[in-house]
Amino acid sequence: MVLYISEGKQPELTNLLQQIVDNDVETNGIVPFKQIKSIHFARFIALGKSIDVHGQEVASRLVLTTNYDMPLENHIQEMVRVAGPGLWRIFSLCQNFSSGNYNADMLERFLLSQNIPSETFYVGVGYRSVQQIHNENLLRKAINEFADGQRALLQNEPAQAARQRIINFVRSRPDLKWADSPEPGPSRAFTISRYAKLIGIIALLIIFSPIILPFVIIWMLIMLVFEITELQAPNPVTKDQIRALVARETQLVQAQFSALGNIKPGSFRLITMKFLLQSTNFLAPYIFTKGKLSGIPTVHFARWLLVEEGRQMLFLSNYDGNSENYLRDFINIAAKQLTLLFCLAQGYPKTWLMVFGGAKDAENFMAWARYRQVITNVWYSANKEVSVMNIFQNSKIRCGLYGEMTETEAQKWISII
Amino acid sequence: MNDQLELNDIQGIIIRGYSNLPAAHFLLLGMQDPAAVKQWLSLMAKDITPGDRDPGESAAHIAFTFDGLKALGLNADALESFSLEFEDGMTGKHKQFFLGDFAESAPERWTWGGPNTADIHILLMLYAKDADVLSRNKNTVLETISRYGLHEVQVLDTTVLYKQKEHFGFHDGISQPTIKGLKRADDKENIIEAGEFILGYKNEYGQYTPRPTVPAQADAANLLTPMPQGSAHDLGRNGTYLVFRQLAQDVPLFWKFMARTTENVNGNNDEKEMIKLASKIVGRWPNGAPLVLSPEDDGGKPESNENHFDYRQSDPEGLKCPFAAHIRRSNPKDSLDTDRATSIAIAKRHRLLRRGRSYGPPLTEKLNPLDCLKGEETNVERGLYFISINADIGRQFEFVQNGWINNPKFKGLYEERDPLVANHQNPQDSSHTGTFCIHHNGLRTRITGIPEFVKVKGGAYFFIPGLRALRYLANVTT
Repeated sequence: MVLYISEGKQPELTNLLQQIVDNDVETNGIVPFKQIKSIHFARFIALGKSIDVHGQEVASRLVLTTNYDMPLENHIQEMVRVAGPGLWRIFSLCQNFSSGNYNADMLERFLLSQNIPSETFYVGVGYRSVQQIHNENLLRKAINEFADGQRALLQNEPAQAARQRIINFVRSRPDLKWADSPEPGPSRAFTISRYAKLIGIIALLIIFSPIILPFVIIWMLIMLVFEITELQAPNPVTKDQIRALVARETQLVQAQFSALGNIKPGSFRLITMKFLLQSTNFLAPYIFTKGKLSGIPTVHFARWLLVEEGRQMLFLSNYDGNSENYLRDFINIAAKQLTLLFCLAQGYPKTWLMVFGGAKDAENFMAWARYRQVITNVWYSANKEVSVMNIFQNSKIRCGLYGEMTETEAQKWISII
Repeated sequence: MNDQLELNDIQGIIIRGYSNLPAAHFLLLGMQDPAAVKQWLSLMAKDITPGDRDPGESAAHIAFTFDGLKALGLNADALESFSLEFEDGMTGKHKQFFLGDFAESAPERWTWGGPNTADIHILLMLYAKDADVLSRNKNTVLETISRYGLHEVQVLDTTVLYKQKEHFGFHDGISQPTIKGLKRADDKENIIEAGEFILGYKNEYGQYTPRPTVPAQADAANLLTPMPQGSAHDLGRNGTYLVFRQLAQDVPLFWKFMARTTENVNGNNDEKEMIKLASKIVGRWPNGAPLVLSPEDDGGKPESNENHFDYRQSDPEGLKCPFAAHIRRSNPKDSLDTDRATSIAIAKRHRLLRRGRSYGPPLTEKLNPLDCLKGEETNVERGLYFISINADIGRQFEFVQNGWINNPKFKGLYEERDPLVANHQNPQDSSHTGTFCIHHNGLRTRITGIPEFVKVKGGAYFFIPGLRALRYLANVTT
């Protein structure tokens, strides 16, 4: 959600958010995130005033985003139950929010009404819940400790016997009871309808390709004219800006990135932008299935959001490592794909046909990303010790507890423990 | 811009490692009278060895900290144009977190370069063919500097170890990138664009790494060449950044740990397994042979300089050389989690030119593992002056240190940092010792409780200017 901050209240709001951080983001008295079990990641950003491409001022805003376990209603109810009064205090500093006394129902309705759908939403951790990620990490730890204790034995018997020994161990542990059966996957009907949708779209594209293709070519040509004639806006990022941003990266495993960009002017570009983001949103669950966003193996969640009637875009992500590493991955691994999603943002390095150039201009790309990056005032991660690759591997370890395996399969499974 | 290397303007230490000049001293200097120091720089400039000259007897090189350039009176705009990492140095709060310098490696405890030690402005690197020549040259310098407004903060002495080994007894200095343009034969994968190591040339992105400039009016005498675009003059060209870290190595601890971990059921030492474990940790055998090529033994050669190997084809599962091994993470070559070509391209963007030297007496003369294990423990400090040259400290040294060496999640791992050199003392760490897995077909062998064999004792970032830039600095007007 994105709210305008009440006139003059920005310092007070920033202070309040800082109190959350200073008193431990997990347990503080304002929004004790650790108690909101449906949250994977959450953040508050107090955006200062900004200037859009037309030179018009955009008022300061508060952004609150959560990556949560569905459904939304339950998530919001939990937020209100655990942190209602704290959230009330925060929103009281924003426009169009009740100034009266705390009212849980009103807060819940407000949160529901303010939910903004993302243009593109990427999930790197599959359909796993917060609890599943947490549990499977515990499971892997327990199996590892067991395996260390029984190493000589496990290494010297056939893999199938060793596997059975590990399964028996898991079964013997009351606290790992949940691991006796596999995590229920999506229903058959869901999977069928999911692929039916994809096939339907592809069929439509093929059928209408005689009409679509010329249209796309003309569209691209117009875009090319824009690209040739426009000048790249400068990105005068300062050292102090970068210092303030990286100083907030203090977690061992994960970090976050928040950026606010201006969309280049004109409805032609806005429509293109929306089309690109929404088609990516549609395709992402089909093509980025193995925890890799265009080949980048470190992104837990990423979100592209158009705000201010499409004049500005928010980009928010949670990933493993640090921001320097993360931005370098963009350039090194997924320059073309990500250029497509960012090329219509002001100041982005010059592109050709929306995929060429762009992030290949590494220096310019880094300057743009840092210039547009904003400070995330509060950031919370529920499973802060696991990387995306760990999450996938943990599930693989758990899956190996079920069903029959050949000796070779068992050996392969044991080797990933 | 002309991409032909201007060897006569580049300091020679960037071009060669001076294996023919085994004796070396590193002098850390502070300045109290900038005007006099500039006179000294003018004199010194003539003695700095350029890259087009192969020095017969001795060589000298000079580099500056950010504080040093500031003390000289360099223009504020020029100072601002240096990289953020160089300006901020190695010891801030975030940097400590980023580089993993905690507990005994914390900057507060450093013997130089830390917040509690004297300011360092200049690094003077002296190399010579033997100790006599070196000592003569050093004495000349030390006698001169006090007359020119400089004082000695510390003199770092180096040691030549038996047969190009480092203190743990491993053949060292094998993996070294070849700078493109030097016309030295090497694998294509190992030839790196000059701009990765020298400012003013194209880097592995096909771009020019950002470099310091001075406003034209601050160079009225036109000592520097103009930048291709804009009006500023090029202070960075043919210069680069130098990372210096004093890394103490605890040799008895290292071999005792290997011995204890591999002792057989009767509690007896198993020399073969002990050496194998140490080699798994390094990624090479003590003679230098890479595990990927000879997984079971060292191949029998007295020493090996073999670099021609891959990971992807030869060892995709890390059964020969573990993913967490030191060499596999400090230069992952083709083994990153992307396609082969992308992995190589990425690895090439994070290379370091290594110019380190050992210091302190060897535990035993020939540094054989068994001798080291039995070697007498004393309180003497020994280790490595880690010196690396890179055009972008953030993208090269710091990236490798943070993203690869000290990252427990590197390549899908869980809790394995570099078992040889990483630090486990971050207050957030759940365990303050290291973990290292040796993979087999079937269950891995997980080694826990790994202490820090290497501790940081000092360090700083330096700018090592081209010779034109050095003359400019000698004439800088405040």
